[in-house]
Amino acid sequence: MAGSGSAHLRNEHETLLRVENMVVEFPIGQTGDVVHAVSDVSLDLIEGETLGLVGESGCGKSTTGKAIMQVPRPTSGSVQLDDVELTTLDDDALRETRPTLQMIFQDPISALNPRRSVRDIIAEPLVIRWEEEEGRPATSLWFERFGQQLFTRVASVVVKPMRFVLPLGAIAMVLWIISEAAEERRFEDQLGWTQLPAQIIGFPVLAIGLGVLAVLALLSAIWLLLGIFVPFGVVSKVLGDISRPVGLACALFSAATWVFMVWRTWNSLTGYSAWIVRVFVIGFAVASVVWFVVALTRSSASGATSVALALASAAALQVFYISGLDGVTKLAVLIGAAIVNLIVWRIVKRQLGLRRDELRARSEPKVREMLETVGINPDNALDRKPFEFSGGQAQRLSIARALITDPKVIICDEPVSALDVSVQAQILNLLEDMKERYGLTLVFIAHDLAVVKNVSDRVAVMYLGKLCEVADPDDLYAAPAHPYSQLLLSAIPKPDPTKPAEETPNTGELPSPIDPPSGCRFRTRCPLAQDRCATEEPTMREVAPNRFVACHFPLIGSDDEGSATHAGATAAGAR
Amino acid sequence: MSDGPILQVSNLTTRFNTSRGPLTAVDDVSFNLSRGQALGVVGESGSGKSVTARSIMRLLPKSNVETSGTVMLDGVNLMELSGKELRGIWGPEISMVFQDPLGSLNPVMKIGDQVSEGMRIHQGVKKRDARPIVIELLRSVGIPSPESRIDDYPHQLSGGMRQRVVIAIALACNPNLLIADEPTTALDVTVQAQILDLLQVQQKGALMPMILITHDLGVVAGRTDEVIVMYAGRIMERATTETLFTNMRMPYTEALFESIPKIEYPSHTRLAIIPGRPPDMVDPPRGCKFAARCRYVQPECLESEPELTVGVDDGHLYRCFFPVGTPEGQAALERNIEAGLVSEDGVLVTVAPR
Repeated sequence: MAGSGSAHLRNEHETLLRVENMVVEFPIGQTGDVVHAVSDVSLDLIEGETLGLVGESGCGKSTTGKAIMQVPRPTSGSVQLDDVELTTLDDDALRETRPTLQMIFQDPISALNPRRSVRDIIAEPLVIRWEEEEGRPATSLWFERFGQQLFTRVASVVVKPMRFVLPLGAIAMVLWIISEAAEERRFEDQLGWTQLPAQIIGFPVLAIGLGVLAVLALLSAIWLLLGIFVPFGVVSKVLGDISRPVGLACALFSAATWVFMVWRTWNSLTGYSAWIVRVFVIGFAVASVVWFVVALTRSSASGATSVALALASAAALQVFYISGLDGVTKLAVLIGAAIVNLIVWRIVKRQLGLRRDELRARSEPKVREMLETVGINPDNALDRKPFEFSGGQAQRLSIARALITDPKVIICDEPVSALDVSVQAQILNLLEDMKERYGLTLVFIAHDLAVVKNVSDRVAVMYLGKLCEVADPDDLYAAPAHPYSQLLLSAIPKPDPTKPAEETPNTGELPSPIDPPSGCRFRTRCPLAQDRCATEEPTMREVAPNRFVACHFPLIGSDDEGSATHAGATAAGAR
Repeated sequence: MSDGPILQVSNLTTRFNTSRGPLTAVDDVSFNLSRGQALGVVGESGSGKSVTARSIMRLLPKSNVETSGTVMLDGVNLMELSGKELRGIWGPEISMVFQDPLGSLNPVMKIGDQVSEGMRIHQGVKKRDARPIVIELLRSVGIPSPESRIDDYPHQLSGGMRQRVVIAIALACNPNLLIADEPTTALDVTVQAQILDLLQVQQKGALMPMILITHDLGVVAGRTDEVIVMYAGRIMERATTETLFTNMRMPYTEALFESIPKIEYPSHTRLAIIPGRPPDMVDPPRGCKFAARCRYVQPECLESEPELTVGVDDGHLYRCFFPVGTPEGQAALERNIEAGLVSEDGVLVTVAPR
C-alpha cells in the first residue's frame, strides 16, 4: 500500500478539483531531516461529490486538506481548482480564489475570533469579497495592497530600533538645542565642551532617525492626502489600478527627501569636529539604506504603525521647518505636528471603518439568511460572541461563515470530531442539507470510518502520507481491498454485544514519517507482507470496477500480476 | 464472584457552587458492582459520568463542591476517609485511568519509576526489587522490549504506549476497583481496540471490577457486563449489556443509539438526531429531564419526574413513564404523531416547551 500512481483519477474535464502528485515535506530544524507528511498523493473531485479522506492520526489527511488550501503550499505537485493552478498563484491571486474554496475546522470555538460578534464573523468573508469586487476606497486599496506591504515592512523594522534611537535622538536634540541657544547668546567660550558631544551623538542619531522617519512621513503624508481628498467609488477603482506606480513614486520621492536630508546635515557641519561626524553620518546612512532594503525583502507586520506614523510626520515637519527657528519653536512644532497627525490618522481610520460598516449593513440580510439556514436564530445570535455558544452551535456558525461566499468546494477537517454523538448527527445532517441546497463539493477529512461512510460518495484511505485505496464507500466497507482498510474496519468497536469484539491483531503503530519504510509504507504492519513489498512500491491500479488499490496483494479482485504470490500471501496471512 | 458487591454506591449527589447557583452534576446515583464485573457508564458530555467517577475517587476539589451519599468499597465508606487515609486507598484499593495519557504522566520521571512508585510507597518494595516486577507488568500491558523501555521518559513513547504505561501504573498495586475514564478517546481507532482488549484481559484475569466511562456505545458493547446510561446527572437506564442493546426501554438510550452513524448503513443514510441541548443543571426543568428532547413526551412527563424503576426484565432499571417497546410507549408515540409533534418516520418536529 501506501503507493503512488494516478490510475484512480478521472477524466480531466469532468473534475472540479484535481490534486496531482502532491508532496508536502516539513524540514526539521537544521538537521537536514524531513517529515514526509504527504508523499505523492493524487485526488480528484467531480462537482457535487463528497470525497471522504480517512486514516489514523499522522497519516497526512489534514495536511492534504490544508495543502489544497495552499496553507502551507505543497512542496511539489499540482492543485487545480476549476482549471486554475493554485500552486503557482501569488498571494493576491490566491486571495481571490478564497470565496470559492472554503474550510471548516475541527475545533469550532478556536476557529472563531472570540473578540468579535457573530455578525462580524459571518459577514467578514462577504465584506472582503465585495471590497475586492467593487474596489476598495483609494486609501484602503493603496494601503492594503502596495502601501501595507511597503509601509508596514518599513515600520516594523523601524519601530523596534526606534525604541532605542528615539530616546537617544531626543536627548541629542535637547543637547543640540541647548548648544545652539548657547551659541546665540555667545556663550561658546564657556559652553564649548557641550558642542562636541552634542554633535558626535546628536547628528548621527538625528541623521538616521530623521532620515528613516522622513521616508515614513512622506509615505504617510501622501496616503493621508489620498484618504482625505479622494472620494470613494469610481475614482478609487481607477486609483486602485495605478496604486503600484503611485506607491513607487512615493517611495522614490521619499528616498530623494532622505538624500536631501543627509546632504543638508553633511553641509551644515563646520569646524574641527566635522570630519568625525561625517564618518558617523556615512556609516549610519549606509546602515539605514541596508535597513530599508532588508525591510522591503522580509515580510513581517507591526501593530505600532500608527505611532510610527505620528512620529514620522512630526519629524518630517521638523525637517522642513527646523532651520531658522529658535529652540522653543522647534519643540512646539514637533509636538504640534505629532498631535495634528494623530488626529488626521484617526479621521482616516474612521473613514475606512465607515466604509466597512456600510458593507456590513448591506450584508446583514445575507448573514441572517445564512444563520437561519444553519439552524441558528439570528435575532438573538447576531450580537453575541462565539464563546457564548455550545460546540455544536459554534460549528454551525463556522459552516455559515464558510457558506456565505457561495463556495464551490469546502474542505471539512474533522468537523465533528470535537462534538458529542447527538450533536455530531445534527452537524452531519446539516452538511448533507447544505450540500444538496448549494450544490457543494466537499472534501471530508475524518478518522471515524462510520462518519466518513455516512457522508461520502468516494472514500480515499490514507496511510503515512500515501493513498491506499480509493473506492465507493459501500463497496469499501463491504469488502475492503487493502489490508490496511481491513485493519481499520476491524478495529471499530461495534455497538452490538451479541457480536463479541474481534481480537484485534496487535499490529503495532505508525512508523515515523521522518524515515518511512521502503517500498510499501504499510508493510511493517501488514499481515500479508512479502519480500516484494519492501523492494517495490505498489502503484494505484483498478482491481474491480471503480475500485483502486495500491497493493501488490489486494484482498479482492483477480491479480494478473502474480496470482501465485497472492495465494502464497493469503496463506501467509492466514497463518 | 458470589461474595456480594465489592462497591456499593448509594445516593451519591455532587453539587458545584457556581456563580449562578448550585449546579447538581450528579443526582442521587446508586449502583453496586461485584467482583469481576465490568460496568459501562455512557452519556453525552455534561451528563455527569466523569463527575461520578471523581466523586467515588474523592478527587474533586474541596472548595465549592458538596458531595453526599455513601460509597462503600470492601466495607469502607470512602466518603468518610481523611486525606491521609485516602492516599492509602488510591493505588492498592482503587485506581483510575484518565483520558489524556500524556497529562497523567510525569514528564521528568522515567516510566519505570512511575509504575513502581505505588508499590514502593504502599507495599514497601525496594526500588531494586521493583524493577523485575515492573518489567513483567510492562510486558503484560503489551509494551515491546520492556527491559529497555523501562528507562524511557513519557515523551519517548507514542500515545498508545503511554496509555499502556498509565494502565500499568493503575494495575501496579492490584487494585480492588479500576475506573477508566474515557481511556481511548484520545487514541486512534486501531490503538483504541488494542487498549480496550488489554483492559478487558487484565480485568477478567484479575477478577477486578471495572467502571468504563465512555461516550461511545460501541466501546461498551462488547466489553462490559452491565451498562448505566446517564443524562443530566441521573441514571436513566441500567441493564445488562445484552438487554440494553436488544431491549432498550429508555427513549434517551434509543435516541443516542440511533444518532450514531453505523458502518452497516449505506452511505448517505439520514441520521436520527436528538434535537435541542441537554438542560441547564443550575435551573433544571421540573419533570423528566429528557422530556424536552423526547419523541414519546406526554404532558405528565413535563409535570413530574419518573422514578428509576425495575422493568419487566430481570434487573432492568429505567426512568420513564412511556418506555420504548411497551404498549404505553407505543401509544404515546402514536398520540404525538397524530398531534403533529413527531413526523411519520419518528423524528421530533417541535421541541416541547418547558
